[in-house]
Amino acid sequence: MRALIIATLALAFAGGCSDDANNTGKKDAGVVIDAPPTGGPDASCFTLTSATPTYNEIINACTSAQKIYKTPHLPLLGSDGSLPPLP
Amino acid sequence: MKTFVGLAFAAGLMVAATRPSEAACGVQAGPCNCSDLPNPIYLQVGDTQLNLMKALGRKLRDNTPKPITLVWITSGSCPNIDLMYHHNPAAGITATMSYAPSQAEAATFTTASTPFSCTPTTAPATFPDIGNSALFNSACTTEMPPSTLSLTIGPRQGYVLAMPRGTSETAITAEEAYFVFGFGPVMLQAMSAAIMPWIDEGQLWIRPTSKSTLLAWAANISVPAAKWHGTPEPGSPDVVNALVTSSNPSAALGILGSEVYDGLRGSLTIMAFRAFGQYAAYYPDSTATSRDKKNLRDGHYTVWSPTVWMQNTDGTNPVNPDADYVVQMIAGHPVTPAPNFAPNVTVAGVGLVPDCAMRVQRSFEGGPLSLYKPATSCTCRYEATVDVSSCETCSATTPCASGTCRDGYCEEF
Repeated sequence: MRALIIATLALAFAGGCSDDANNTGKKDAGVVIDAPPTGGPDASCFTLTSATPTYNEIINACTSAQKIYKTPHLPLLGSDGSLPPLP
Repeated sequence: MKTFVGLAFAAGLMVAATRPSEAACGVQAGPCNCSDLPNPIYLQVGDTQLNLMKALGRKLRDNTPKPITLVWITSGSCPNIDLMYHHNPAAGITATMSYAPSQAEAATFTTASTPFSCTPTTAPATFPDIGNSALFNSACTTEMPPSTLSLTIGPRQGYVLAMPRGTSETAITAEEAYFVFGFGPVMLQAMSAAIMPWIDEGQLWIRPTSKSTLLAWAANISVPAAKWHGTPEPGSPDVVNALVTSSNPSAALGILGSEVYDGLRGSLTIMAFRAFGQYAAYYPDSTATSRDKKNLRDGHYTVWSPTVWMQNTDGTNPVNPDADYVVQMIAGHPVTPAPNFAPNVTVAGVGLVPDCAMRVQRSFEGGPLSLYKPATSCTCRYEATVDVSSCETCSATTPCASGTCRDGYCEEF
């Protein structure tokens, strides 16, 4: 059920993603945008409307650039996504 | 035979006597005295800046309004900072230096060519007019620069992770890189936590801890420089060689400056990178095959650093105005007299991103990004130089519908 909700939200947000408002350059013809895997990273993106967006909003801003979604299996990662200390 | 030798010797003397003053240093075969070169400016730069030295050095040799010879030597960013901060004479330059020949000296010289060489003054050792680091100085030292040293932020330098050409891998996440370089494949395997395909400890090719390439990556994946696993290679060409001649190419992974990768795209495969907290992985460019550095410029690709250019001052003014001319030019600032070439085009042509094309900034290595608006934009000109620009073009007779007409393009501001 949770996966279904995430997938639904992802699709809803994805529909709202457009090219950068400030993109005066090339269009995204021919650009491959891989689909996020089910249960994978949030496919949503942020449209930057604030003059001072957060770091998280900047690195996840909507873009026409090629994206690659990846969900590696990392057994040492904490359940909350935290990194274990280095040896 | 004696007559022939005598004639040849006499002819040689005549040629030498009629050489212009710089010709003695315009011979690739052997070093000459650097001080004999026209208007030499001495630099100690990071090896990621080699192509900039060659390209800009060439342009400045032939810069009729103010001819300058860039005479450079490469070293790690951290030693460069140390030298400029402490003026330690024992660390002055004594090794052979390089310079780019003028058009008259070598018509076909390019950034792929071997630069000419010269011998610096060694008693006392030559101290550089300009020092360079290819990352925030604070990544090397917590020490503040002396009051007699001026620091100028220059174009941005991207860093990449690359594998040999032919791999099926396309991306790496910050978490994966944390484990691969911070734990090492051997330890990960022992902990049943191997990360495919990077499971061969002997196939991680890195740089020494004094180099910007390693320090920039270290800050972006939260693995301190001293804790990295892999084989440190002295130069970027060594990393490239290790990758392309790898005995286990499907597991080989190396760190490089983006300009090195750009020049070797036929031999290497770049990994898109997903930063901590990011939803997807991105290339420095908008696609795997473009060269626009769009993601680096707008914040989607986070592994980049500023280049920092250090020059000596008397506390207020530059000690060497011609060194300042070079520094300001590299930083994209107006200089007088105006050069007979476009410095930002030269900078862009060697894989660096001029300040005027950036839209994000940070204040320390690997630090959070915030939006940035330079004084004037050169995005269209930059994209036209390195890739393709679909910006509207303009001229005195065809003004822009919006924005500002600059260098033939309708820039945003």
